[in-house]
Amino acid sequence: MRRTYLGEFEELVLLMIAILDENAYGVTVSQEIEQQTGRLVAFGSVHNTLIRLEEKGFVTSGLGGATAERGGRRKRLFKVTALGKTALADIQELRNKLWKLMPDDTLKLSGI
Amino acid sequence: MNAPQPPQWAKTVLRWLHPDNTLEEVEGDLDELYAYSYAHSGKMQALFRYLINVITVLPPFVRRRQQKTKYDPTFSLSPDMLKNYFKIAWRNIVRQKSYSILNIAGLSIGMACSILILLWVQNELSYDRFHSRADQIFRLTCSAGDFRAAVSAAGMAPGFKSELPQIKSGVRISKWIPMLFEVGEKKVDEKRVMYVDSNFLDFFSFPLLAGNKATALQDPGAILITEEMAAKYFGTSDAIGKTIRIDNKENFTVGGVLANTPPNSHLQFDCLIPMKTLARTSTELQNNSWNNFIFYTYLELNDKTAASASARQALIKQISSIFKGHGQTIKIDFELQALTDVHLHSNYQLDVAGHGNIQYVNIFFIIAIFILIVACINFMNLATARSERRAKEVGLRKVVGANRHQLIFQFLGESLIFSFLSLIIAIGIVFLLLPIFKMLTEKSLTIHLLDGKLLLSLIGIAVLTGLLSGSYPALFLSGFAPVKVLKGKLRVAGGNLLFRNALVVTQFVVAIVLLVGTAVVYKQLDFIKKRNLGFDKSNLLYLPMSGELWGKQQALKLALAQNHLTENFTVISALPTAVESGTVDVVWDGQTAPNQVVFPSLDVDENFINVFKTKVLAGRGFDKTFSGDSSSYMINEKAMQIMGMNVNNAVGKSMSLGDEKGTIIGVVKDFHFKSLQYAMEPLILRINRWGGVVMVRTEAGNNEQTIKALEKINLQLNPAFPFRFGFLDKDLDNLYRSEQQMGNIFNLFAGLAIFISCLGLYGLSAFMAEQRTKEIGVRKVLGASVAGVVGLLSQDFLKLILIAIVIASPIAWYAMQSWLQGFAYQTTLEWWVIALAGILATAIALFTISFQSIKAALMNPVKSLRSE
Repeated sequence: MRRTYLGEFEELVLLMIAILDENAYGVTVSQEIEQQTGRLVAFGSVHNTLIRLEEKGFVTSGLGGATAERGGRRKRLFKVTALGKTALADIQELRNKLWKLMPDDTLKLSGI
Repeated sequence: MNAPQPPQWAKTVLRWLHPDNTLEEVEGDLDELYAYSYAHSGKMQALFRYLINVITVLPPFVRRRQQKTKYDPTFSLSPDMLKNYFKIAWRNIVRQKSYSILNIAGLSIGMACSILILLWVQNELSYDRFHSRADQIFRLTCSAGDFRAAVSAAGMAPGFKSELPQIKSGVRISKWIPMLFEVGEKKVDEKRVMYVDSNFLDFFSFPLLAGNKATALQDPGAILITEEMAAKYFGTSDAIGKTIRIDNKENFTVGGVLANTPPNSHLQFDCLIPMKTLARTSTELQNNSWNNFIFYTYLELNDKTAASASARQALIKQISSIFKGHGQTIKIDFELQALTDVHLHSNYQLDVAGHGNIQYVNIFFIIAIFILIVACINFMNLATARSERRAKEVGLRKVVGANRHQLIFQFLGESLIFSFLSLIIAIGIVFLLLPIFKMLTEKSLTIHLLDGKLLLSLIGIAVLTGLLSGSYPALFLSGFAPVKVLKGKLRVAGGNLLFRNALVVTQFVVAIVLLVGTAVVYKQLDFIKKRNLGFDKSNLLYLPMSGELWGKQQALKLALAQNHLTENFTVISALPTAVESGTVDVVWDGQTAPNQVVFPSLDVDENFINVFKTKVLAGRGFDKTFSGDSSSYMINEKAMQIMGMNVNNAVGKSMSLGDEKGTIIGVVKDFHFKSLQYAMEPLILRINRWGGVVMVRTEAGNNEQTIKALEKINLQLNPAFPFRFGFLDKDLDNLYRSEQQMGNIFNLFAGLAIFISCLGLYGLSAFMAEQRTKEIGVRKVLGASVAGVVGLLSQDFLKLILIAIVIASPIAWYAMQSWLQGFAYQTTLEWWVIALAGILATAIALFTISFQSIKAALMNPVKSLRSE
């Protein structure tokens, strides 16, 4: 099976959705990224990435959870699919493998 | 507790430019983020970030969420839709009455034909399958060279059974032997009487209604009769123990009552008499003869041998060697014919009467399919031709959301409605036509509607017809682009026209082939009936010897000679419709190798040549003035050729038939003594010392009186037996019954196929004329004549029919040529037969078209052009 390419930001967003577990939507994902990485992201890029992830089948979404502070508008809540979980696990595995292949001194040198 | 709100203008921009389907969530998210920043970083920062965020979710930066179908797709099988489909279908049927009638008429006639033919085919195929061990029973047939005979010798069944373990049991059956039955006052000639071995009932599965199955055929004085016979003679089926006097000399006791023979059994009989009865007088049976082939032998093989062709082949080899072991020198090819093959695959001589022909079954099966196809083509043609009428409906349906599958489903459904309506009418037609069809085929066909298998196959036919005929219109109609059809710019595509033309051509190819077939079958029948048989067959009356006539032959001859009406008579051993005797035991002068050709022989008397008006080519006929004629032979030309003689040297040569040595005194010109299906065979004539049949040449117009005179003679000499007589030419015609039947059936279905094609053509021409109304109007205004317009409208169809003729001719020629191969004497298949069929088809088609084309041509152009 051809592995679907997952970009760096896509991976980040996907990880955030996984972390947020059932409560992932545009706002929480943006805030989580800001808090965890200190990166300020434009909402548009989060929004686009969420749509793209859904198109690729890594997440599914559903509307729900309207609150007063949103003016009664519904949120689009995201969930990681089985495919998304495998993709994350694959990436993790690949990383670990590559890390192990690295000679010790390289790690020390690069660790400066 | 009012949450801080971002500026309204930014929101308006957002609402205006952001994709609709994600607006709700994005707006909410942005509001929430604004409120969050507002609380954490202050208003300025919040506003700044809000604006940045808004810009990033506006085109061209924003990614659009793919529209997933949010509406509920219509469920094609929802009751509402179904109701609508039915309603529309019904409205279409009712609104276009003539079109619907054409369609349904074509389909129902086509179906009725197919059902009738399939009933017949099914009946033919069902022969002898009711026997419980049908697949293990085989008939032993013996052929000598080209003379393939269904009969075998008396000693074979017991002989082979005792020596070969593969044979579980064997049964011998005699031919039909006519007998005079007498019960009380009632005296009837029964023709369908057979002698059978005692294990007959055990071997086959003919049910015995009363009596003991095991012992019924053991007692030589017993007779088994069918229910029908019991009712005929005793008025009751309880006939056991009653007495029947046979041939005015012996009393038989009814030992059992059989069910009437199933019509789909090749063995047909009314009475069975134990073989032991015949054995009292027959030396054949007493000696278990191995060289006189007069019985039918059936063998039951064990499972293994029956199932494998190679095992049967090995068995045949063993049979041959046992046969040789019995001192037989004649070369016989034995065959084991499966019981279920006897009816259809029999091309043996001396076979039981009335067997079928697998060729006809195949031909008719194909015809049934073709007729159905022709009917389907009608439907397809009319439906596609009229597609414009449905085009707007299709367009509208598509606009309100129908997808192609639904439309295909709808149109297929409509054609299924048509086909089921037609099926119901077809069943009605079948019921009406069944008596006529039974008469044509001389079969007892029945249709039981409650029979599940039949019902299933009928529904199968309807579904097949519906799908076949609906498929093209459904695909074609459902493919319309709604924009085009609703704009009113629908052009019937060239491809569609081509397809429709191809369909018309196909129809006419079928019709023409059937026409040619009919013509050739009748031509061949006519050829056979008119063929010079080598003797004059007209006005030949015959009186088979029965009862006391055998013993009073001198008196009979005297009586016949005294009456001027009957004085022109001869006594021969068998009718020249089917001479059944034959032997290879012939030796002649100059013979180099033992003879392996079967020589049939006929016993005739001195008057034979005169009465039959045959020609003597060399030598002389039998003559009373020559005393030595009892040891003289006459041969026919064919025999002369086989013996290697010629007209000049044959006379005077010596030859012997069996043990009797004699001299050839004359050569007679070949005359036919068997069905013309067989090529001329050699024949030996010898002087009749035995009797047989009295043949009287009557004078034309005096038949009635001659019959009376004969009846009188019979009454005087043979008072106990009823008078039997027959005309030879009628018997000869009867030989070709199955061909005659085939001709009649062919004729019927060819006519129907053409009729169905014409229905379609009529509809199509009506449609064409309607479409070209304006064109015709303009042409007429500009001065076109009626004839010119009719010609214009006809020529399109004429072209198609000409193409059909070109395609059909070789097919018909090839098919009929191969049918004719089955006859030894064939009529020639001349080009004018095909031309005639073509012209006939063209004429019928033009006649059909003319209704519409003349109507269109006569129409007042003022009317047709008024609307514009």
